[in-house]
Amino acid sequence: MSVFLAVLWKDLLAEWRSRERVVAMLLFSLLVVLVFHFSLPEGATRRQAEQAPGLLWVAYLFAALLGLNRAFALELENDALSGLALAPADRGFVFLGKAAANFVIFFGVEVAIAAVFGLVFDLDLAPAAAGLAGLLALGTLGICTVGTLFAAVAVRTRFREVMLPLLILPLLIPVLAASVRATTSLLAGGGLPWDALQLLLVTDGIYLVVSFLGFEYVLDE
Amino acid sequence: MTAHAPAVSASRALPASGLLLGGLFAVYAVLVVTAPIDFRQGVVQKILYVHVPCAFSAYLGFLVTAVAGALFLWRSDPRLDRVALAGAEVGVVFCTLVLVSGPIWAKATWGEWWAEWDPRLTVSLIQWFVYVAYLLLRAFAEGSERAARFAAVYGIAGVCAIPLNYFAIELFGGGRAAHPANLGRGSLGEGFGWPFLAGVATSFAAFLHLLLLRIDLETRRNAREEGAEALEAH
Repeated sequence: MSVFLAVLWKDLLAEWRSRERVVAMLLFSLLVVLVFHFSLPEGATRRQAEQAPGLLWVAYLFAALLGLNRAFALELENDALSGLALAPADRGFVFLGKAAANFVIFFGVEVAIAAVFGLVFDLDLAPAAAGLAGLLALGTLGICTVGTLFAAVAVRTRFREVMLPLLILPLLIPVLAASVRATTSLLAGGGLPWDALQLLLVTDGIYLVVSFLGFEYVLDE
Repeated sequence: MTAHAPAVSASRALPASGLLLGGLFAVYAVLVVTAPIDFRQGVVQKILYVHVPCAFSAYLGFLVTAVAGALFLWRSDPRLDRVALAGAEVGVVFCTLVLVSGPIWAKATWGEWWAEWDPRLTVSLIQWFVYVAYLLLRAFAEGSERAARFAAVYGIAGVCAIPLNYFAIELFGGGRAAHPANLGRGSLGEGFGWPFLAGVATSFAAFLHLLLLRIDLETRRNAREEGAEALEAH
C-alpha cells in the first residue's frame, strides 16, 4: 500500500513540476478537434451533435496514447525501472501506482477536452455532468489498465511509439464501444444504458486483474 | 512433465501428424466434391466447409497461446514458450483464411464483401490484429527471454479480449447483420453434415501438423543458436 502511494505521489509530483504530459495531451486534443472540423462534411462540427460522442472518445484515445507513450519515459533514464522492480512489495502495487497517476492526469485532461467539445459542438453538458463524469472515470480506468501495463512493455521494444497503439487499440475496442454508446445515450437525454455500462464494468474488472497480475512479469530484475 | 511432452517429441510426431492430415484431406476432398449443392446458395455454400473449420482452428490457436503463455510464466520453460509462439502463428494463418473466405461468401450471398460489419467477422478481424501485434511484439522486443515474458502477458490479455470484443460488437451493431446462426445438431440439411465434420477434423489435423512443424523449427533454431554461442565461447 505504501508502495502504491509512493509511486502515485512520485508520478503526480513529477508531472506537476514539468507539466509535460498535460500540456502535450491538451494541445494535441485541441488539434484533433481542429482536424475534425476540416475533415468532416461542412457544418458537421456545429450541427451534427450525434457525431460528438464518437469524436470525443477518438480524441481521448489518441491523447491517452500520447500520454501513455511518455508514462515510463522518466523511468527509462538512469535505469530507474530496475529500481521500481526492486520495490519492497508485490509489483502489482507499482502498477497500481503508475496506473492511478495516469488516471488522475488523463481524467483532468479529459474534463477539459469535454468542455471544449461542449463549446464547439454546442452541447449542453451541464445536465448530464454527473453521469458523464462517471462514464469518463470508467472509460479512463479501462484505458489506464492495459494502457499502463503495455506502456511498460512497449517502452522496452524497438519502435516503441508504434508498438503501443498496435498492442492496446484492439484490446480497447470494448472500452471504446461501450463508452461511445453510453455517452451518446447520455447526451441524447436517455440516461446511462445498462448494457453498455455492464460491458464497461466487466472489461475494466478483467483488465485490471490481468494487468495487476501481469505487471509482475513485465519488469526485469 | 506432460505439459512438455509435445515440445520434446515434436519432430518425432511429425510423420504421424502429416499422414493423418493427408488421409483426412483426401476423405474431406471427396466428401466436399460429392456433397449436394445447396439449392438456394448454389456452389458457393461449400465455403462453409472451409470457413467454419478454419475459424475453430484459429481460436484454438489463440487459446493454445494463452494457456502455454500462462504455463511459461509459471514454469519458465522455454519449450512452453515455443508452443505459445507456434499457437499464435498458426492461429493467425487460420484467422487470415477466415477473413478471406468470409467476404467471398458474403459477396456471393449478400452482394457485399464486408456486409454491414458482420459481428463475428469483425471480432475475428480484431483478434487478427491482436495476434499480429503479438508476433510483432516478439520481433521487436530485445532479448528472447524478455520477449517471451512480454508475449505471454499479451497473449493472456488477448484471449480475455475475445468475449469482450464479441459483446462490444453485439452492443454496437448486432441484430442488423445476418451471419448464419450457430450450427446446432442436425441444423445442416441432408448430406451437408459429413463433409462439414470432415472439414473440422481436417482443419484440426492441419492445425496440429502446422503447430508441431513450427515448434520443431523453433527448437532447431534455438539449438543452432545455442550451438553457435557455445562454439564462440570455446
